[in-house]
Amino acid sequence: MFLTAWNWFVANIFTKPAWFLALMVFIGCLLIKKPIYEAFASFVKALVGYMIFNVASNGMVATFRPILFALNGRFNLQAAVIDPYFGAAPLQKSITEVAGRTMSIATMAMILGFAINVLLVYFKKQTKVRSLMVGGHVMNLGSWGVIAYLVLMIPSISDLGAIISGGLLCGLLWGVLSNLTVEPTQELTDGANIAVGHVQMTGIYIFDKLATWIGNMDKKKGKEIHKIGDIKLPGFLSIMNDTTVAASIVMLLFFGGMMLIIGREYMLTVDESLASQSWGFYLIEKCLTFVVYLNIIILGIKMFVGELTEAFSGISQKILRGAVPAVDIAATFGFTEGSVVTFGFLFGALGSIIAILLSVLFKNPILAIVGFIPMFFDNGGIATFTNNKGGLKAVIISTLIVGMVHVFGGGLYAYFYGFSNYGGAAANFDIAAWHTLLGVLMKNLGFVGIGVICLALILIPQLQYLKNKDTYFLVVDDYEKYKEVIAKKTNARPAAKKAEK
Amino acid sequence: MTLKILAACGQGLGSCQIITMKLNAVFKKMGIDARVTSSNVSMAKSTATSYDVLFCGQTLVPNFKTAESKGVVVIGLKNLVSEKEMEEKIQEAIASGKIKTN
Repeated sequence: MFLTAWNWFVANIFTKPAWFLALMVFIGCLLIKKPIYEAFASFVKALVGYMIFNVASNGMVATFRPILFALNGRFNLQAAVIDPYFGAAPLQKSITEVAGRTMSIATMAMILGFAINVLLVYFKKQTKVRSLMVGGHVMNLGSWGVIAYLVLMIPSISDLGAIISGGLLCGLLWGVLSNLTVEPTQELTDGANIAVGHVQMTGIYIFDKLATWIGNMDKKKGKEIHKIGDIKLPGFLSIMNDTTVAASIVMLLFFGGMMLIIGREYMLTVDESLASQSWGFYLIEKCLTFVVYLNIIILGIKMFVGELTEAFSGISQKILRGAVPAVDIAATFGFTEGSVVTFGFLFGALGSIIAILLSVLFKNPILAIVGFIPMFFDNGGIATFTNNKGGLKAVIISTLIVGMVHVFGGGLYAYFYGFSNYGGAAANFDIAAWHTLLGVLMKNLGFVGIGVICLALILIPQLQYLKNKDTYFLVVDDYEKYKEVIAKKTNARPAAKKAEK
Repeated sequence: MTLKILAACGQGLGSCQIITMKLNAVFKKMGIDARVTSSNVSMAKSTATSYDVLFCGQTLVPNFKTAESKGVVVIGLKNLVSEKEMEEKIQEAIASGKIKTN
């Protein structure tokens, strides 16, 4: 009888990701002792939110299909919009259509991953992981990504196998990588006790080090780091603050441009509805249709993720004291002047444009169009950190590189995993930079590959600790004292050098 | 009388969740009856006037000049996760008469 009940559950709930997610949210609410009517409300919002996302996901993919088909047929070119919300549907479709699985595996992996992150921090004295990822939207998309890699690269993996290895990978990725951002974020915020738990964590670590090096080089030469102050930027750039407007501009420029190049005649062969419409209006409305679905995707995701985050935060607050919450990178924007973020965005955009032109010039089979969200948030965030350590020079160098990685790395990523077949890839910096490597390891080494990745992740905080035993926990336990210790070390160095001479 | 609070952020997604949760905790601690809603900047610009107080990251404050001129109290936050900062700024606003808590 138990088996029948289990089979019913699998057939009717587990295979319906919207219901499964809503059920998890419901249980989560009960765990944090919310009244049952509130838990019910959260259940409904999670369920409906996911269903809304589903509608938009289907719509987005359907709108892309003829254009991608035409692009492929006419120029042998694949295109992908590098953006988390344009990349959400491709992730979902890869898991469900290409690999024939249910999204509920990802939901379970996400919950397991969160639990593992909590465990890692609970035992931080041993694991050396100090931060806990709390961003529901990051964990949601992150788990979709990891599960997609697993089921695409190791097709023989069972559902249970995917959940366990997916959960393990997620927990380690979230804990270890957010942990990398602890020192840079403390230094940026002067001890606010937050870390970054998002999709540029390795970027922050690398570029913060680069900016510090640039800053030190300048200091040695006696130059002052030229920090970006409040520079007046042209007014028209303010419209880019609005997602709808920004996305419309990007889509009109790139996809509108592409369709013009493909030509009306060729487009007719892939989309007969064009025959009864004006070419101009067809072009514009097609481009804007993407933005319509983008808005609906964001609406749906926001709805169910909102409920997830509340449940997660409630649980983590009950279990963990003294953990550093790892939050969305936008939370760091308040610790710098407004124009730094815009500066980063502009130079990042420049880097991406240069990379796209180079791509076209060298006949790259994939055209990666960077969406507004990675362009603004990744570059804005990296600019915030690098401006602090190395000023304008560091900002320009770092964001130009980030912009290029978005295009080259993101394009490779979309091509490798086949997300370009659906027209998008959620390739923010970290993902664009090295998530293809994860797939290569999984494809060629199977479970051993997963083991290698996990081992590497486990080692990273241990190595960090070995380098800085005396300040490793001090930096979050008592930041003022940490500053004193670091100051003493920096002053001791020239004295030691003199002693050597 | 329930204070109507709006938390605004860039995408209406990431930072909003954090601000909303923290604000709820702070208002509960201060014993103030408040209802917090969140939205992205563009929606917030048009709906701000139906709220008493608007919180956002301080880099976004310039977006709400019109709302401010229409009587909405706009509070910019440097640290979106600092309950201390939120409490301080709310106290300030109450002290200067901008927020009425009866």
